[in-house]
Order: sequence, then C-alpha cells, then structure tokens
Amino acid sequence: MAAEQKAATEDVKMDLFEDDDEFEEFEIDQEWIEKDEGKEVTQQWEDDWDDDDVNDDFSLQLRRELEQNAEKK
Amino acid sequence: MAYLSMGESHRRITDYLNRFADAINYQDGDSLARLFSVSSDSPSLLSLADALNVFQDANRLIKQSEKFSQFGEVVAPFFRSLQCYRLGNLVDAYGAFEKASNAFIQEFRNWESGWALEALYVIAYEIRVLAERADRELASNGKSPEKLKGAGSFLMKVFGVLAGSCDLQGKGPKRVGALYVTCQLFKIYFKLGTVNLCRSVIRSIETARIFDFEEFPIRDKVTYMYYTGRLEVLNENFPAADQKLSYALTHCCLSKEANIRMILKYLIPVKLSIGILPKKQLLENYDLVEYNNIVEALKRGDLRLLRSALQENEDQFLRSGVYLVLEKLELQVYQRLLKKIYIIQKQKDPSKAHQVKLEVIVKALKWLEIEMDLDEVECIVAILIYKNLMKGYFAHKSKVVVLSKQDPFPKLNGKPVAS
Repeated sequence: MAAEQKAATEDVKMDLFEDDDEFEEFEIDQEWIEKDEGKEVTQQWEDDWDDDDVNDDFSLQLRRELEQNAEKK
Repeated sequence: MAYLSMGESHRRITDYLNRFADAINYQDGDSLARLFSVSSDSPSLLSLADALNVFQDANRLIKQSEKFSQFGEVVAPFFRSLQCYRLGNLVDAYGAFEKASNAFIQEFRNWESGWALEALYVIAYEIRVLAERADRELASNGKSPEKLKGAGSFLMKVFGVLAGSCDLQGKGPKRVGALYVTCQLFKIYFKLGTVNLCRSVIRSIETARIFDFEEFPIRDKVTYMYYTGRLEVLNENFPAADQKLSYALTHCCLSKEANIRMILKYLIPVKLSIGILPKKQLLENYDLVEYNNIVEALKRGDLRLLRSALQENEDQFLRSGVYLVLEKLELQVYQRLLKKIYIIQKQKDPSKAHQVKLEVIVKALKWLEIEMDLDEVECIVAILIYKNLMKGYFAHKSKVVVLSKQDPFPKLNGKPVAS
C-alpha cells in the first residue's frame, strides 16, 4: 500500500514541471538590444532551395539507379 | 549561521520596515520591488530572514508605530514567508506570500497611478516561482502538488485588477502591466499542461478595448508572442505560428541567446512546413543541429534520411510537441523526390518526361530501402495531387502519372500544404 502510494507520487512528480522550453525571464531593467529590423535573422532563411539542380550526389545516384533499371528492361 | 544579537536583529527589521514605508510614501516602485523579491536570495533579504528567526516577534515592531502598522497586513505575512523560506519550508513560505500578495493587491487597487507596477511584477513572478518550489516539496513528501494551480488562480485575479483598472476615459495607467501577468500565467499553464486555460486571457488581451498591444513593454510582447506562437503550433495553424514566432525572433533581446534558441526550436518546424529552410549557419549558431538532416532530406527528396532523422531525435521532438509537424514533411519530401525523377527523365528525353511510371517511383523508393507496391505509390501520388503538391492525372490502366506541362510541382511559397 505504502509502496503503491509512493509510485503514484513519483508519477505526479514526473508529470509536473514538464516544460523544457520555459522562456527565461527578462530582467526588469534588461537593456534591450535588437537586431537591425531583424535583418540578420531574415537573411538566415532560404526559400529558393527547391531548384531544378540535379547535380548533387543524391540526384546523381538516383539517376544511376533509374538508368540501371531502364537498361534491365 | 554566525551569532546574531537581538539588537542587531531589531535594527535589521526596523531598517526593512523603514525602507518599506519610504518606498510607498515616495512612490518608489523600484525600491519596493526589491523588498519583495524573496527568491532572489539577495544578501539584504537573507540577513533580514536571519534576523526575523532570531527576533521571533516582529509583529510587535510592526504594531508599535502607525508608520509601519498601516502596512501590517502586507508586511506581517511577508515576514512569515521569508522566515519559512529561509528555513527551507517552501509550502508555508508560499502560503504566507500569497497572503501578503493578496493584501498588497488590495492596496495596489486603490493607488491611482501605476507607480507600483514594478513591485507587482516581482510579486507575480515570486508567486509562480515559490509555488513551483512548494509543489516540488509537496510531491517529494507524497502530497498532491496544488500550489502552482493556486498561483494561477491568484494571478487571474491580478489580471482582473489590471484589466479593470480603467478610468473614465476607459484607459487606466495600470493596464500596461496586464501582459506581464499574462506571461506568468502562460508559464504556469504550460508547466501544468493546461494550455487551454490560456484562451480566456488571450481573448481579453486581443479584444478588450482597453488594451493596445503596441503599448505593452517589449519584453512582455516578445514573451507573449513566443507562447501564443507555440499554441498556434499545437493548433497546426502555421501562418499564425509563423507570424507570432517571427515577431518574437525579430524583437528578442540579442543577449538572451537561450530564448532565441527556444523561439527557433518552434519556428524552424513551422518554416519547414511552409517550404522555407533555415540556413546551416543558423542551425549551428544556436546549436539546433537536430534539424540538419531534416533540412537535408527536404533538399534531396530523401525519404529515408527524413525518417531516420525523425527517429533519431524522436524523444526530443515529441517533448517539444513538434514531432507531428515534422512527420508531415514527408509529403514535401515525396514531392521533391518525384520532381527530381521528373527532371532526370526530362534531361534524358524531354518528350516523355511528363509521363512518370509508377514503377519508376517504386524503384526509386526501393533504392532508399522503402518497400512500397504500386497501389501504395499510387495512393501517395493521389495525395500529392489532392494537396496540390503535384499537378497531373493518372492513366490508371498503364500505371502512369501524367504531369501537367505547366508548373507540375507547385511551390508552397510560404503557404501551408492544403489540408
């Protein structure tokens, strides 16, 4: 009985305090330095990656694979 | 603890009481705030706590002069809280602190200006942190942890005081404090796993006429956007999640790298799901290398790599709740793979490029060690067409998909995959 209760509370403990991504408090008087209009950050994304280039290793192997298959026919 | 005389204890306690009374009389919010920050473990509060534990009868000092006794309802339970805190009794420290806070709120309600907001912030913060520690103590003693939930109810009351603090023009000076309290509530609800409780405060912040979002302090706006962005991720509302988390990222203070990293942890899956990739440098700068292979899988059209990257970091992605978002990237990876097959065919024989045999797709997948038969591949292609990731139709009998001549693989261009 006592052991059971112990196990139950262990579970409670496990469930509790479960947010790994809790935002850190900013100091009340935090000196606020922002990026210039988020410039640097926005430059860190790419939306033109879905190109027609098939010269990377993966594509070259894929090509070889498909050609092999075609020959087999 | 070094020996502490009664005289010295007496001096420390009256010193605190004087500073408390002065802070209120001079409306000095900063000083008042410091007097409440129990968990900061500041030397002056710790030495006060020791003095209280030696002196024992601080209430007598509070009562003996009008200057102190008018704040007795706040200070007496606060002293008790500090004493318990010093002795490591967190449950009682929390209880007494809540009592002091309640009394403080009654005073705060009557002050016309917002001079004491800084002190209110500290109280809102302390109540949450003390409740967390009290719950840990309760749980380790086999009791049910309930203080953090109680702190949530208390902060809702504080929110009500701030939101209701309008003057005749409908706008009171204390309303700008409401977002800080909201952020503390978010932290509680996320920790307790009761995020649905966020909804009513959000509705109030976003629709009540007394609030103007731009007026709130920047640190609260950033925190608010981080949490509401995470809620949008849970709701799979990616355009809204993108907008909120991007706001948080753009405006977050640069010196808080840990916070920037947390924003990115959620923003990256959101961006991926609308077809935007983070550059390698970004992943490296913030040590988010768990996304490296996922990005690479999208670029290649490598289904096997996507699956192994998901498996490798499964626990982590499940814990932060982005696993399902990332799993859905499969369709985009299929799209990319089919596009590559199409381009390779086109280079070989442009006249036949628009006809892709399902058999060829089966073979490409087999090469990636993914076993699928023709029917399964047909099903995937049907989904791609349905979701507008591919334009074309089936020639069912010949097991061929005929691609549209125009834009056979439409890009997402920052929009989510159709549902």
